[in-house]
Amino acid sequence: MLESLARVVGKPNGELNSHAIVVENVSKTFRIPKERKITVYEHLIGLFGRGAQSYEVFNALQDVSFSVKHGETFGVIGPNGCGKSTLLKVLAGVLYPDSGRVKMGGKIAPFLELGVGFQPELSARDNVYLYGAIMGLTRKDVDQRYDEIMDFSELKRFENMKLRNFSSGMYVRLAFATAIQTNPDIMLVDEVLSVGDESFQRKCGAKIDEIRRAGKTILLVSHSLGTVKQLCSRCLLMNHGQMVALGETEDVLAEYERMRAASG
Amino acid sequence: MWIVEYRELIRILTISDLKVKYQSSVLGFVWSLLNPLLMMLVLYLVFNNVFKNNQEHFALYILIGIVSWRFLANATSSSMMAIVGKSSLVTKIYIPRQILVLSSVLSSFISSLLEFLVLIVLLLAFGVNISLNILFFPLIHIVYFMMVYGISLALAALYVYYRDLNQIWEVLLQLGFFISPVCYSISTVPEKYIFYYMLNPVTLVMQIYRKTLLYAESPSAVSLVYILLSACVLLILGAVIFKRLERRFAEEL
Repeated sequence: MLESLARVVGKPNGELNSHAIVVENVSKTFRIPKERKITVYEHLIGLFGRGAQSYEVFNALQDVSFSVKHGETFGVIGPNGCGKSTLLKVLAGVLYPDSGRVKMGGKIAPFLELGVGFQPELSARDNVYLYGAIMGLTRKDVDQRYDEIMDFSELKRFENMKLRNFSSGMYVRLAFATAIQTNPDIMLVDEVLSVGDESFQRKCGAKIDEIRRAGKTILLVSHSLGTVKQLCSRCLLMNHGQMVALGETEDVLAEYERMRAASG
Repeated sequence: MWIVEYRELIRILTISDLKVKYQSSVLGFVWSLLNPLLMMLVLYLVFNNVFKNNQEHFALYILIGIVSWRFLANATSSSMMAIVGKSSLVTKIYIPRQILVLSSVLSSFISSLLEFLVLIVLLLAFGVNISLNILFFPLIHIVYFMMVYGISLALAALYVYYRDLNQIWEVLLQLGFFISPVCYSISTVPEKYIFYYMLNPVTLVMQIYRKTLLYAESPSAVSLVYILLSACVLLILGAVIFKRLERRFAEEL
Protein backbone atom coordinates (compact mmCIF):
# COMPACT_ATOMS: atom_id res chain seq x y z
CA MET A 1 0.00 0.00 0.00
CA LEU A 2 2.87 2.31 0.85
CA GLU A 3 4.22 2.00 -2.63
CA SER A 4 1.13 3.38 -4.21
CA LEU A 5 1.67 6.58 -2.29
CA ALA A 6 4.85 7.32 -4.22
CA ARG A 7 3.02 10.04 -6.03
CA VAL A 8 0.36 12.10 -4.35
CA VAL A 9 -1.68 14.67 -6.19
CA GLY A 10 -4.38 16.60 -4.52
CA LYS A 11 -5.78 19.58 -2.79
CA PRO A 12 -3.45 21.42 -0.47
CA ASN A 13 -3.44 19.89 2.99
CA GLY A 14 -0.93 19.29 5.74
CA GLU A 15 2.55 19.58 4.31
CA LEU A 16 1.12 20.77 1.03
CA ASN A 17 -0.35 23.86 2.67
CA SER A 18 2.76 25.87 2.05
CA HIS A 19 4.36 23.79 -0.67
CA ALA A 20 3.08 23.11 -4.16
CA ILE A 21 5.70 20.52 -4.99
CA VAL A 22 7.48 18.28 -2.50
CA VAL A 23 10.10 15.86 -3.78
CA GLU A 24 11.61 13.49 -1.23
CA ASN A 25 14.62 11.28 -1.99
CA VAL A 26 13.48 10.45 -5.48
CA SER A 27 15.61 8.02 -7.43
CA LYS A 28 15.01 6.66 -10.87
CA THR A 29 17.06 4.11 -12.73
CA PHE A 30 16.58 3.00 -16.29
CA ARG A 31 17.37 -0.48 -17.42
CA ILE A 32 19.29 -0.47 -20.63
CA PRO A 33 18.97 -3.99 -21.99
CA LYS A 34 22.07 -5.47 -23.59
CA GLU A 35 19.71 -7.24 -25.90
CA ARG A 36 16.15 -6.13 -26.06
CA LYS A 37 13.61 -8.82 -25.33
CA ILE A 38 10.14 -7.84 -26.35
CA THR A 39 8.46 -11.12 -27.10
CA VAL A 40 7.28 -14.04 -25.02
CA TYR A 41 9.47 -16.23 -27.23
CA GLU A 42 12.60 -14.25 -26.38
CA HIS A 43 11.78 -14.31 -22.69
CA LEU A 44 11.32 -18.07 -22.76
CA ILE A 45 14.61 -18.50 -24.58
CA GLY A 46 16.21 -16.12 -22.07
CA LEU A 47 15.18 -18.41 -19.20
CA PHE A 48 17.38 -21.17 -20.53
CA GLY A 49 20.29 -18.89 -21.35
CA ARG A 50 22.98 -17.59 -19.05
CA GLY A 51 21.66 -16.40 -15.73
CA ALA A 52 23.69 -13.21 -15.97
CA GLN A 53 21.94 -9.88 -15.75
CA SER A 54 20.95 -8.92 -19.25
CA TYR A 55 20.73 -5.18 -18.71
CA GLU A 56 22.83 -2.30 -17.52
CA VAL A 57 21.54 0.15 -14.99
CA PHE A 58 21.57 3.87 -15.68
CA ASN A 59 20.92 6.18 -12.73
CA ALA A 60 18.90 9.03 -14.14
CA LEU A 61 17.99 10.48 -10.77
CA GLN A 62 19.75 9.83 -7.50
CA ASP A 63 18.25 10.87 -4.21
CA VAL A 64 16.76 14.14 -5.36
CA SER A 65 14.91 16.18 -2.74
CA PHE A 66 13.56 19.70 -2.90
CA SER A 67 10.34 21.57 -2.46
CA VAL A 68 8.68 24.46 -4.21
CA LYS A 69 6.36 26.89 -2.42
CA HIS A 70 3.00 27.93 -3.76
CA GLY A 71 3.39 30.87 -6.11
CA GLU A 72 7.07 30.32 -6.60
CA THR A 73 8.79 30.12 -9.97
CA PHE A 74 11.46 27.49 -9.71
CA GLY A 75 14.15 26.68 -12.26
CA VAL A 76 15.94 23.43 -12.97
CA ILE A 77 19.19 23.72 -14.90
CA GLY A 78 22.08 21.52 -15.87
CA PRO A 79 23.95 20.13 -18.85
CA ASN A 80 22.39 17.69 -21.31
CA GLY A 81 21.65 14.31 -19.80
CA CYS A 82 21.75 15.58 -16.23
CA GLY A 83 18.29 14.25 -15.42
CA LYS A 84 16.25 17.45 -15.82
CA SER A 85 13.78 15.95 -18.22
CA THR A 86 13.50 12.73 -16.26
CA LEU A 87 12.71 14.78 -13.18
CA LEU A 88 10.04 16.66 -15.07
CA LYS A 89 8.51 13.43 -16.31
CA VAL A 90 8.43 12.03 -12.79
CA LEU A 91 6.69 15.20 -11.59
CA ALA A 92 4.21 14.98 -14.46
CA GLY A 93 3.41 11.38 -13.56
CA VAL A 94 4.65 9.94 -16.84
CA LEU A 95 7.50 8.10 -15.15
CA TYR A 96 7.24 6.34 -11.84
CA PRO A 97 10.04 6.89 -9.31
CA ASP A 98 11.82 3.72 -8.12
CA SER A 99 12.03 5.12 -4.62
CA GLY A 100 11.15 8.31 -2.83
CA ARG A 101 7.98 10.34 -2.95
CA VAL A 102 6.54 13.13 -5.01
CA LYS A 103 3.70 15.27 -3.75
CA MET A 104 1.92 17.79 -5.91
CA GLY A 105 -0.47 20.18 -4.21
CA GLY A 106 -2.87 21.09 -6.96
CA LYS A 107 -3.88 20.70 -10.55
CA ILE A 108 -0.91 20.18 -12.85
CA ALA A 109 -0.47 21.25 -16.43
CA PRO A 110 2.54 19.54 -17.94
CA PHE A 111 4.05 21.40 -20.87
CA LEU A 112 6.52 18.66 -21.72
CA GLU A 113 5.63 18.80 -25.34
CA LEU A 114 2.94 20.87 -26.95
CA GLY A 115 0.21 19.36 -29.05
CA VAL A 116 0.37 15.80 -27.74
CA GLY A 117 -2.48 13.85 -29.27
CA PHE A 118 -3.22 16.35 -32.03
CA GLN A 119 -4.79 14.62 -35.01
CA PRO A 120 -3.72 15.97 -38.40
CA GLU A 121 -6.94 14.81 -40.05
CA LEU A 122 -9.18 16.78 -37.71
CA SER A 123 -9.98 20.48 -37.97
CA ALA A 124 -8.37 23.01 -35.67
CA ARG A 125 -11.64 23.28 -33.78
CA ASP A 126 -11.91 19.53 -33.17
CA ASN A 127 -8.30 19.44 -32.08
CA VAL A 128 -8.91 22.15 -29.51
CA TYR A 129 -11.67 20.00 -28.01
CA LEU A 130 -9.51 16.87 -28.18
CA TYR A 131 -6.46 18.54 -26.64
CA GLY A 132 -8.63 20.19 -24.01
CA ALA A 133 -10.04 16.77 -23.11
CA ILE A 134 -6.52 15.32 -22.86
CA MET A 135 -5.67 18.11 -20.45
CA GLY A 136 -8.72 17.17 -18.41
CA LEU A 137 -11.20 19.86 -19.50
CA THR A 138 -14.87 19.09 -20.01
CA ARG A 139 -16.75 20.04 -23.13
CA LYS A 140 -18.39 22.92 -21.29
CA ASP A 141 -15.00 24.25 -20.15
CA VAL A 142 -13.75 24.32 -23.70
CA ASP A 143 -17.00 25.86 -24.97
CA GLN A 144 -16.53 28.75 -22.57
CA ARG A 145 -12.89 29.29 -23.44
CA TYR A 146 -13.01 28.56 -27.12
CA ASP A 147 -13.11 32.19 -28.26
CA GLU A 148 -10.28 33.14 -25.97
CA ILE A 149 -8.18 30.26 -27.31
CA MET A 150 -8.80 31.34 -30.88
CA ASP A 151 -8.07 34.99 -30.06
CA PHE A 152 -4.85 34.18 -28.29
CA SER A 153 -3.57 31.89 -31.02
CA GLU A 154 -4.74 34.33 -33.73
CA LEU A 155 -6.12 31.39 -35.69
CA LYS A 156 -9.84 32.20 -35.72
CA ARG A 157 -9.82 32.36 -39.52
CA PHE A 158 -8.43 28.83 -39.78
CA GLU A 159 -10.68 27.09 -37.27
CA ASN A 160 -12.23 24.79 -39.87
CA MET A 161 -8.98 23.96 -41.61
CA LYS A 162 -7.49 20.52 -41.14
CA LEU A 163 -4.49 20.55 -38.88
CA ARG A 164 -2.22 18.87 -41.41
CA ASN A 165 -2.32 22.07 -43.45
CA PHE A 166 -1.02 24.12 -40.54
CA SER A 167 2.52 25.41 -40.39
CA SER A 168 4.54 24.27 -37.39
CA GLY A 169 4.24 27.76 -35.93
CA MET A 170 0.45 27.71 -36.17
CA TYR A 171 0.42 24.21 -34.69
CA VAL A 172 2.34 25.27 -31.64
CA ARG A 173 0.34 28.46 -31.19
CA LEU A 174 -2.88 26.46 -31.15
CA ALA A 175 -1.43 23.98 -28.68
CA PHE A 176 -0.08 26.64 -26.34
CA ALA A 177 -3.29 28.66 -26.41
CA THR A 178 -5.33 25.57 -25.52
CA ALA A 179 -2.98 24.25 -22.87
CA ILE A 180 -2.80 27.58 -21.10
CA GLN A 181 -6.57 27.54 -20.66
CA THR A 182 -6.52 24.55 -18.34
CA ASN A 183 -6.08 26.98 -15.47
CA PRO A 184 -3.52 24.88 -13.61
CA ASP A 185 -2.19 25.47 -10.11
CA ILE A 186 1.20 24.11 -11.09
CA MET A 187 2.82 24.45 -14.48
CA LEU A 188 5.67 22.18 -15.51
CA VAL A 189 7.46 23.81 -18.42
CA ASP A 190 10.15 22.24 -20.55
CA GLU A 191 11.78 24.69 -22.92
CA VAL A 192 8.56 25.24 -24.80
CA LEU A 193 8.83 28.98 -24.43
CA SER A 194 11.08 29.05 -27.43
CA VAL A 195 8.30 28.41 -29.90
CA GLY A 196 6.71 30.36 -32.70
CA ASP A 197 7.96 33.66 -34.05
CA GLU A 198 9.32 36.42 -31.89
CA SER A 199 6.06 38.26 -31.37
CA PHE A 200 4.31 35.08 -30.29
CA GLN A 201 7.19 34.27 -27.97
CA ARG A 202 6.72 37.64 -26.34
CA LYS A 203 3.02 36.91 -26.01
CA CYS A 204 3.73 33.56 -24.35
CA GLY A 205 6.24 35.17 -22.05
CA ALA A 206 3.67 37.80 -21.08
CA LYS A 207 1.05 35.09 -20.47
CA ILE A 208 3.40 33.10 -18.28
CA ASP A 209 4.26 36.26 -16.40
CA GLU A 210 0.55 36.87 -15.89
CA ILE A 211 0.10 33.35 -14.55
CA ARG A 212 3.09 33.84 -12.28
CA ARG A 213 1.68 37.05 -10.88
CA ALA A 214 -1.67 35.34 -10.33
CA GLY A 215 0.16 33.27 -7.71
CA LYS A 216 0.51 30.02 -9.64
CA THR A 217 3.50 27.77 -9.21
CA ILE A 218 5.84 27.28 -12.15
CA LEU A 219 8.63 24.77 -12.50
CA LEU A 220 10.80 25.63 -15.43
CA VAL A 221 13.39 23.40 -17.03
CA SER A 222 15.60 25.38 -19.33
CA HIS A 223 18.88 25.71 -21.13
CA SER A 224 18.44 29.42 -21.43
CA LEU A 225 20.12 30.84 -18.36
CA GLY A 226 18.81 34.27 -19.27
CA THR A 227 15.20 33.10 -18.98
CA VAL A 228 15.92 31.38 -15.71
CA LYS A 229 17.63 34.45 -14.29
CA GLN A 230 14.74 36.63 -15.34
CA LEU A 231 11.89 34.43 -14.08
CA CYS A 232 13.04 32.19 -11.28
CA SER A 233 13.60 33.10 -7.68
CA ARG A 234 15.18 29.78 -6.79
CA CYS A 235 16.97 27.12 -8.80
CA LEU A 236 18.20 23.56 -8.73
CA LEU A 237 21.38 22.61 -10.55
CA MET A 238 21.76 19.00 -11.54
CA ASN A 239 24.53 16.89 -13.01
CA HIS A 240 24.65 13.14 -13.66
CA GLY A 241 21.29 12.70 -11.98
CA GLN A 242 22.47 14.25 -8.75
CA MET A 243 21.73 17.54 -7.09
CA VAL A 244 24.71 19.87 -7.31
CA ALA A 245 23.28 23.08 -5.94
CA LEU A 246 19.96 24.32 -4.65
CA GLY A 247 19.21 27.88 -3.66
CA GLU A 248 18.87 31.47 -4.86
CA THR A 249 19.08 31.72 -8.62
CA GLU A 250 22.19 33.91 -8.66
CA ASP A 251 24.18 31.60 -6.44
CA VAL A 252 23.16 28.53 -8.39
CA LEU A 253 23.98 30.17 -11.72
CA ALA A 254 27.40 31.13 -10.39
CA GLU A 255 27.91 27.52 -9.32
CA TYR A 256 26.90 26.39 -12.80
CA GLU A 257 29.51 28.69 -14.32
CA ARG A 258 32.17 27.27 -12.03
CA MET A 259 31.10 23.71 -12.89
CA ARG A 260 31.27 24.40 -16.60
CA ALA A 261 34.65 26.07 -16.28
CA ALA A 262 35.98 23.13 -14.29
CA SER A 263 34.84 20.56 -16.82
CA GLY A 264 36.19 22.68 -19.65
CA MET B 1 -12.54 9.41 -10.07
CA TRP B 2 -10.90 9.32 -13.48
CA ILE B 3 -13.97 8.14 -15.36
CA VAL B 4 -15.89 11.25 -14.36
CA GLU B 5 -13.00 13.67 -14.63
CA TYR B 6 -11.98 12.53 -18.10
CA ARG B 7 -15.44 11.68 -19.46
CA GLU B 8 -14.96 14.08 -22.35
CA LEU B 9 -11.72 12.41 -23.42
CA ILE B 10 -13.30 8.95 -23.15
CA ARG B 11 -16.19 10.14 -25.33
CA ILE B 12 -13.93 11.68 -27.97
CA LEU B 13 -11.59 8.69 -28.13
CA THR B 14 -14.48 6.23 -28.37
CA ILE B 15 -16.11 8.14 -31.20
CA SER B 16 -12.89 8.58 -33.15
CA ASP B 17 -12.22 4.86 -32.76
CA LEU B 18 -15.64 4.07 -34.22
CA LYS B 19 -15.06 6.51 -37.06
CA VAL B 20 -11.79 4.85 -37.97
CA LYS B 21 -13.40 1.42 -37.83
CA TYR B 22 -16.28 2.30 -40.10
CA GLN B 23 -14.60 4.69 -42.50
CA SER B 24 -11.64 2.57 -43.38
CA SER B 25 -13.75 0.65 -45.87
CA VAL B 26 -16.49 2.05 -48.03
CA LEU B 27 -19.04 -0.44 -46.83
CA GLY B 28 -17.53 -0.29 -43.34
CA PHE B 29 -20.70 -0.32 -41.35
CA VAL B 30 -22.58 -2.67 -43.66
CA TRP B 31 -19.71 -5.12 -43.60
CA SER B 32 -19.60 -5.18 -39.85
CA LEU B 33 -23.21 -6.40 -39.92
CA LEU B 34 -22.86 -8.61 -42.95
CA ASN B 35 -19.86 -10.41 -41.55
CA PRO B 36 -21.69 -12.17 -38.69
CA LEU B 37 -24.56 -13.09 -41.01
CA LEU B 38 -22.29 -14.71 -43.58
CA MET B 39 -20.40 -16.42 -40.81
CA MET B 40 -23.68 -17.77 -39.50
CA LEU B 41 -24.52 -19.13 -42.93
CA VAL B 42 -21.22 -20.98 -43.19
CA LEU B 43 -21.42 -22.46 -39.71
CA TYR B 44 -25.09 -23.33 -40.17
CA LEU B 45 -24.39 -25.24 -43.35
CA VAL B 46 -21.47 -27.09 -41.81
CA PHE B 47 -22.89 -27.88 -38.42
CA ASN B 48 -26.42 -28.59 -39.52
CA ASN B 49 -25.51 -30.98 -42.30
CA VAL B 50 -22.21 -32.54 -41.33
CA PHE B 51 -23.00 -32.98 -37.67
CA LYS B 52 -26.36 -34.09 -36.35
CA ASN B 53 -28.37 -31.40 -34.69
CA ASN B 54 -31.76 -31.08 -33.12
CA GLN B 55 -31.54 -27.58 -31.68
CA GLU B 56 -34.63 -25.48 -32.29
CA HIS B 57 -34.03 -22.33 -34.44
CA PHE B 58 -30.49 -23.54 -35.05
CA ALA B 59 -29.53 -20.73 -37.48
CA LEU B 60 -30.54 -18.04 -35.00
CA TYR B 61 -28.96 -20.06 -32.21
CA ILE B 62 -25.66 -19.85 -34.07
CA LEU B 63 -26.13 -16.17 -34.87
CA ILE B 64 -26.53 -15.29 -31.20
CA GLY B 65 -23.37 -17.29 -30.50
CA ILE B 66 -21.43 -15.46 -33.19
CA VAL B 67 -22.62 -11.99 -32.28
CA SER B 68 -21.81 -12.46 -28.61
CA TRP B 69 -18.46 -14.10 -29.39
CA ARG B 70 -17.53 -11.27 -31.75
CA PHE B 71 -17.74 -8.74 -28.95
CA LEU B 72 -15.15 -10.64 -26.93
CA ALA B 73 -12.89 -11.38 -29.90
CA ASN B 74 -13.02 -7.92 -31.49
CA ALA B 75 -12.80 -5.95 -28.28
CA THR B 76 -9.87 -7.89 -26.82
CA SER B 77 -7.80 -8.00 -30.00
CA SER B 78 -8.25 -4.32 -30.81
CA SER B 79 -7.85 -2.98 -27.29
CA MET B 80 -4.70 -5.04 -26.83
CA MET B 81 -3.09 -2.42 -29.07
CA ALA B 82 -4.66 0.52 -27.20
CA ILE B 83 -1.58 1.45 -25.16
CA VAL B 84 1.09 0.73 -27.77
CA GLY B 85 -0.94 2.35 -30.54
CA LYS B 86 -1.36 5.63 -28.67
CA SER B 87 2.08 5.75 -27.14
CA SER B 88 2.42 9.55 -27.28
CA LEU B 89 -0.47 9.84 -24.83
CA VAL B 90 1.53 7.67 -22.45
CA THR B 91 5.07 9.02 -22.84
CA LYS B 92 4.48 12.73 -23.31
CA ILE B 93 1.65 13.56 -21.00
CA TYR B 94 -0.09 12.04 -18.04
CA ILE B 95 -3.61 10.78 -18.43
CA PRO B 96 -4.98 7.79 -16.54
CA ARG B 97 -3.89 5.09 -18.99
CA GLN B 98 -6.97 2.95 -18.43
CA ILE B 99 -8.82 5.53 -20.53
CA LEU B 100 -7.13 4.24 -23.68
CA VAL B 101 -8.28 0.68 -23.01
CA LEU B 102 -11.72 1.71 -21.84
CA SER B 103 -12.48 3.81 -24.90
CA SER B 104 -11.33 1.02 -27.19
CA VAL B 105 -13.55 -1.54 -25.45
CA LEU B 106 -16.42 0.95 -25.43
CA SER B 107 -16.23 1.38 -29.17
CA SER B 108 -16.44 -2.40 -29.64
CA PHE B 109 -19.30 -2.43 -27.16
CA ILE B 110 -21.24 0.07 -29.25
CA SER B 111 -20.58 -1.96 -32.41
CA SER B 112 -21.81 -5.01 -30.56
CA LEU B 113 -25.00 -3.24 -29.49
CA LEU B 114 -25.69 -2.41 -33.13
CA GLU B 115 -25.17 -6.03 -34.09
CA PHE B 116 -27.55 -7.17 -31.38
CA LEU B 117 -30.08 -4.63 -32.64
CA VAL B 118 -29.96 -6.18 -36.09
CA LEU B 119 -30.16 -9.60 -34.47
CA ILE B 120 -33.35 -8.67 -32.65
CA VAL B 121 -34.87 -7.40 -35.89
CA LEU B 122 -34.01 -10.76 -37.46
CA LEU B 123 -35.56 -12.62 -34.53
CA LEU B 124 -38.79 -10.72 -35.13
CA ALA B 125 -38.58 -11.36 -38.86
CA PHE B 126 -38.26 -15.10 -38.24
CA GLY B 127 -41.29 -14.98 -36.00
CA VAL B 128 -39.51 -15.71 -32.73
CA ASN B 129 -41.68 -14.97 -29.73
CA ILE B 130 -40.00 -12.06 -27.95
CA SER B 131 -40.93 -12.02 -24.28
CA LEU B 132 -40.30 -9.60 -21.44
CA ASN B 133 -37.16 -11.62 -20.73
CA ILE B 134 -35.50 -9.39 -23.31
CA LEU B 135 -35.22 -6.88 -20.46
CA PHE B 136 -32.40 -9.03 -19.08
CA PHE B 137 -30.34 -8.15 -22.14
CA PRO B 138 -28.90 -4.77 -21.00
CA LEU B 139 -27.96 -6.24 -17.64
CA ILE B 140 -26.21 -9.25 -19.15
CA HIS B 141 -24.45 -7.13 -21.74
CA ILE B 142 -23.06 -4.85 -19.05
CA VAL B 143 -21.80 -7.83 -17.04
CA TYR B 144 -20.23 -9.22 -20.21
CA PHE B 145 -18.66 -5.79 -20.83
CA MET B 146 -17.02 -5.94 -17.38
CA MET B 147 -15.49 -9.33 -18.22
CA VAL B 148 -14.20 -8.15 -21.56
CA TYR B 149 -12.83 -4.91 -20.10
CA GLY B 150 -10.99 -6.86 -17.40
CA ILE B 151 -9.39 -9.17 -19.95
CA SER B 152 -8.53 -6.22 -22.20
CA LEU B 153 -6.80 -4.33 -19.38
CA ALA B 154 -4.50 -7.27 -18.76
CA LEU B 155 -3.83 -7.85 -22.46
CA ALA B 156 -3.12 -4.20 -23.27
CA ALA B 157 -0.65 -3.95 -20.38
CA LEU B 158 1.08 -7.25 -21.19
CA TYR B 159 1.34 -6.37 -24.87
CA VAL B 160 3.58 -3.40 -24.00
CA TYR B 161 6.17 -5.90 -22.76
CA TYR B 162 5.45 -8.90 -24.98
CA ARG B 163 4.90 -7.83 -28.55
CA ASP B 164 4.08 -11.30 -29.85
CA LEU B 165 1.15 -11.62 -27.47
CA ASN B 166 -1.24 -10.89 -30.33
CA GLN B 167 -0.15 -14.09 -32.06
CA ILE B 168 -0.68 -16.11 -28.91
CA TRP B 169 -4.01 -14.46 -28.21
CA GLU B 170 -5.21 -15.25 -31.70
CA VAL B 171 -4.67 -18.95 -31.04
CA LEU B 172 -6.31 -18.72 -27.64
CA LEU B 173 -9.32 -17.03 -29.19
CA GLN B 174 -9.57 -19.81 -31.71
CA LEU B 175 -9.53 -22.29 -28.84
CA GLY B 176 -12.12 -20.26 -26.96
CA PHE B 177 -14.35 -20.23 -30.02
CA PHE B 178 -14.56 -24.02 -29.90
CA ILE B 179 -14.78 -24.52 -26.15
CA SER B 180 -17.71 -22.10 -26.03
CA PRO B 181 -21.04 -23.15 -27.54
CA VAL B 182 -20.89 -20.76 -30.49
CA CYS B 183 -21.78 -23.17 -33.27
CA TYR B 184 -22.98 -26.38 -31.63
CA SER B 185 -25.55 -27.40 -29.07
CA ILE B 186 -24.39 -27.99 -25.50
CA SER B 187 -26.10 -31.39 -25.58
CA THR B 188 -23.28 -32.62 -27.84
CA VAL B 189 -20.72 -32.09 -25.06
CA PRO B 190 -19.83 -35.45 -23.44
CA GLU B 191 -21.43 -35.93 -20.02
CA LYS B 192 -18.12 -36.38 -18.17
CA TYR B 193 -16.79 -33.00 -19.30
CA ILE B 194 -19.95 -30.98 -18.80
CA PHE B 195 -19.04 -29.77 -15.30
CA TYR B 196 -15.74 -28.26 -16.47
CA TYR B 197 -17.35 -27.06 -19.66
CA MET B 198 -19.89 -25.00 -17.75
CA LEU B 199 -17.20 -23.27 -15.69
CA ASN B 200 -16.43 -21.08 -18.68
CA PRO B 201 -18.32 -17.84 -17.95
CA VAL B 202 -18.61 -17.04 -21.66
CA THR B 203 -20.60 -20.26 -22.12
CA LEU B 204 -23.06 -19.10 -19.51
CA VAL B 205 -23.31 -15.62 -21.00
CA MET B 206 -24.13 -17.12 -24.39
CA GLN B 207 -26.69 -19.46 -22.92
CA ILE B 208 -28.40 -16.60 -21.12
CA TYR B 209 -28.54 -14.53 -24.32
CA ARG B 210 -30.19 -17.48 -26.05
CA LYS B 211 -32.62 -18.21 -23.25
CA THR B 212 -33.79 -14.63 -22.95
CA LEU B 213 -33.80 -13.63 -26.63
CA LEU B 214 -34.60 -16.84 -28.47
CA TYR B 215 -36.46 -19.19 -26.14
CA ALA B 216 -38.37 -16.67 -23.99
CA GLU B 217 -37.08 -18.13 -20.74
CA SER B 218 -35.66 -16.41 -17.66
CA PRO B 219 -32.05 -17.11 -16.73
CA SER B 220 -31.48 -19.03 -13.50
CA ALA B 221 -30.39 -17.06 -10.48
CA VAL B 222 -27.34 -19.29 -10.07
CA SER B 223 -26.08 -18.53 -13.57
CA LEU B 224 -26.64 -14.80 -13.06
CA VAL B 225 -24.66 -14.82 -9.83
CA TYR B 226 -21.92 -16.90 -11.43
CA ILE B 227 -21.37 -14.57 -14.36
CA LEU B 228 -21.51 -11.52 -12.12
CA LEU B 229 -18.88 -13.02 -9.83
CA SER B 230 -16.64 -14.02 -12.73
CA ALA B 231 -16.99 -10.52 -14.18
CA CYS B 232 -15.88 -9.01 -10.87
CA VAL B 233 -12.94 -11.39 -10.60
CA LEU B 234 -11.79 -10.70 -14.17
CA LEU B 235 -12.20 -6.96 -13.72
CA ILE B 236 -10.22 -6.87 -10.48
CA LEU B 237 -7.54 -9.19 -11.86
CA GLY B 238 -7.22 -7.07 -15.00
CA ALA B 239 -7.02 -3.85 -13.01
CA VAL B 240 -4.35 -5.25 -10.68
CA ILE B 241 -2.19 -6.51 -13.56
CA PHE B 242 -2.61 -3.18 -15.34
CA LYS B 243 -1.69 -1.18 -12.25
CA ARG B 244 1.42 -3.28 -11.72
CA LEU B 245 2.67 -3.04 -15.27
CA GLU B 246 1.64 0.55 -15.86
CA ARG B 247 4.65 1.94 -14.02
CA ARG B 248 7.18 1.19 -16.70
CA PHE B 249 4.92 1.87 -19.68
CA ALA B 250 6.65 5.13 -20.54
CA GLU B 251 10.04 3.42 -20.52
CA GLU B 252 9.02 0.42 -22.59
CA LEU B 253 7.26 2.31 -25.35
